[in-house]
Amino acid sequence: MSLITIIWSMLSSACLTLAGINLQIWCKNPKARANLLFSLAAVSTAAFAFCELWMMRAETTTAFATALKWTSLPGWLVSLSLVGFVRLYLRAGRPWLAWTVYSVRTLALLLNFMVGQNIIFMEITHLRHIPFLGETVSVAEGVRNPWMLVGQLGLVLLVIFVADAGVTAWRRGNRRTALTVGGSVVFFTIVATGQSLLVFWGIVQAPITASLFFFGVVAVMGYELSYNALRASQLDRELKVSQAGLREIEERMSLAVEGAHFGIWIRDLVRNEIWATDNWRALFGFKKTEPLELESILQRIYPEDRDAVRMLLARAIENNGNYQAEYRLILPNGEMHWIASHGRVEFDAAGNPILVRGLSHDITERKVAEQETQNLRDEIAHVGRVSMMGQLASSLAHEINQPLGAILRNAEAGGLFLQDASPDLDEIRAILDDIKKDVQRAGSVIDRMRGLLKRHSIEKRKVEVGELIRDVVALVRADAVARRVKLDVEIQDDLPLVSADRVHLQQVLLNLIFNGMDALDKVGRQDPRVRVTAQLDGAQLVEIAVSDDGHGIPADKLVRIFDPFFTTKPNGLGMGLPISRTIVEAHGGRILAENNNGGGAVFRFTLPTLDVATK
Amino acid sequence: MSATEPIVYVVDDDASFLTAISRLLQASGFAVKTFSSARDFLLHRDEDVPGCVLADLRMPVMGGLDLQSALAQTPNPMPILFLTGHGDIPSTVQAMRGGAEDFLEKRAPKEKLVDAVTRALARDAHERKARAYRNELLARFDALSQRELEVLSHVVQGRLNKQIAYDLGIHERTVKLHRTSITTKLRVQSVAELTRLTQEAGIFPVPAQTFPKGQ
Repeated sequence: MSLITIIWSMLSSACLTLAGINLQIWCKNPKARANLLFSLAAVSTAAFAFCELWMMRAETTTAFATALKWTSLPGWLVSLSLVGFVRLYLRAGRPWLAWTVYSVRTLALLLNFMVGQNIIFMEITHLRHIPFLGETVSVAEGVRNPWMLVGQLGLVLLVIFVADAGVTAWRRGNRRTALTVGGSVVFFTIVATGQSLLVFWGIVQAPITASLFFFGVVAVMGYELSYNALRASQLDRELKVSQAGLREIEERMSLAVEGAHFGIWIRDLVRNEIWATDNWRALFGFKKTEPLELESILQRIYPEDRDAVRMLLARAIENNGNYQAEYRLILPNGEMHWIASHGRVEFDAAGNPILVRGLSHDITERKVAEQETQNLRDEIAHVGRVSMMGQLASSLAHEINQPLGAILRNAEAGGLFLQDASPDLDEIRAILDDIKKDVQRAGSVIDRMRGLLKRHSIEKRKVEVGELIRDVVALVRADAVARRVKLDVEIQDDLPLVSADRVHLQQVLLNLIFNGMDALDKVGRQDPRVRVTAQLDGAQLVEIAVSDDGHGIPADKLVRIFDPFFTTKPNGLGMGLPISRTIVEAHGGRILAENNNGGGAVFRFTLPTLDVATK
Repeated sequence: MSATEPIVYVVDDDASFLTAISRLLQASGFAVKTFSSARDFLLHRDEDVPGCVLADLRMPVMGGLDLQSALAQTPNPMPILFLTGHGDIPSTVQAMRGGAEDFLEKRAPKEKLVDAVTRALARDAHERKARAYRNELLARFDALSQRELEVLSHVVQGRLNKQIAYDLGIHERTVKLHRTSITTKLRVQSVAELTRLTQEAGIFPVPAQTFPKGQ
């Protein structure tokens, strides 16, 4: 078989095969119009190759003319499908240019069938035989048809259209496709047009081999399409994998959410709808189908906590916020539950809130445990205070007996004055005033004592440190007098307020002062003193220090002094300092013990100032 | 007030109690002087005026017990009554050992207070009288010469002039002269009276039977 036959028939069959595959793709997916256009171009190229072969093998001028005439049809189809393919594939190209290409090419086709033997020759006068690829092939000679220019104009316009589309696609960033599709179409069209011009104007003696160049275009297009098909299937696989991953994550999420008894709720602010998981509904005591509204949800919240939660939600929506809250619920069956919630507000591009996502879970157990711990701590602190009261008892008895004694004496004196013939009423009035003052004095001692004896948990209020210290000193003064210890108080002016629980802090101070006095008892100094000072420590802390000039703390005991049940006193329980530390730390402060340079121990503790504590 | 009218000194650091108790004591007919600290009282009291002290057991700086021991150092110690708000056992024991006149609860009934003060004042008056008598007695004995004291010590043991003369190695007549001088100086009429006064004055360690010879 000759080389020409082999090349051209291989070319045709390759084109037909590609056309068949792509046609099938289009049949399965009618949206894939690029594949349809590709099949058309491939079939046309095969037809073109057939016509070329026909011409090369033509024995008569008539046969050649007929073959040449029919080449116009696949040529026209190739141009049309190329334009369509480029438009579809590159999503570029000016529509008016496309229509111009269509029109000019169609006009050329019409002229081909109407003027002369075909659009190339008015009449083929004779055939010449020339050698080509080792064979002798026919080429035509005759009167040329000037309308040939219309067809060639069409091809030039096609090149311009494709080049323009390629540039647009390139600029859009679609560079690879622009280069392969645009570049190859432009290149092969120019080459094919150039060759036909050279041949038909008799400048070069050669047969028409445009199908070779068209095949080049078809090959590039085919590569592009299969590349895309490959990519698509790859993406499809990736999508499937990621979808599977997503499902897995979803599964894990829901498992975790259910396992942890988390409830999720989503509030659509635009449509004003609330959606919640079954877990969430169970937490908040809603039935599975019960419609949800913000107000009905808020009604489930314990009245004391309700407004705080309402405000928190509103603030999160107003600001760009996350929220976090712990609150109590009263379920329809009367049960109380502690809930921890946190959520996030989502905003659209314009910054308007569109939805709120929230996660809630039951923390009742934790809260109960916390409460129990707290109760235990309060109980221990209370026991500490009661035992301290024992130490204070004689001091307090003195503090109360003093005014009571004065009242009794005044009352007795008043009785005697009244026995006079003319009682001194001014004196009696003075007596009554004094009695009133002493009653108040005794009352305030009892109040202080009762405050210390009452069991209560830490409740922070504004506290003036100076006043606190003076109160405590008033409580222990009598005891100090009995033990001949002098209490020095030194309070810095203009100390800021602290946020603290009075009773608990009094307990700490009493404990430290008692410790100081106990230390002095053992030493037997001439002029025993306990100093209580308060001063600002930095901008955010108030430091209160209690120091004595006793024996100090042995270095090996300094580290353990705050340990429970560690004591240096024969009758000590070892609870005073651990309780003090718990109290100070619950206030956000720190307590430490050290030895004074001049002997004796000093205990310092800090309290955050009010504006720091409330931050 | 007259110099002989006894004064009740009240010492307490509690101003209100001080006012109240002084009102009551005054209304009960006592002359009262108040002091807010023991030191103040020790500085300003009049030693020669009879009276008693009513002091709080618990006071800063100088407590009731300190006051008690400070008073005991003075030539004319006044009876001291302690006021206490509570049963402070160690302090009470110490105070009693120190010779406290009485203990009064701050809220003891008026009658008990008035009785205690009256009793304390009476004791003071008695002690003052006793002290005065003894001082006068001692002054009389001070007039005796060394030899007269020696003779006296033998006389109160009931020894005869003869024995005394022998013991002291002097003439019996000289002993008689000493005895006359002694009875004159001590203003006594009988040997019995002489013996009583000698005992009251506590001149010799009693009993004098072990008095060594030759002295």
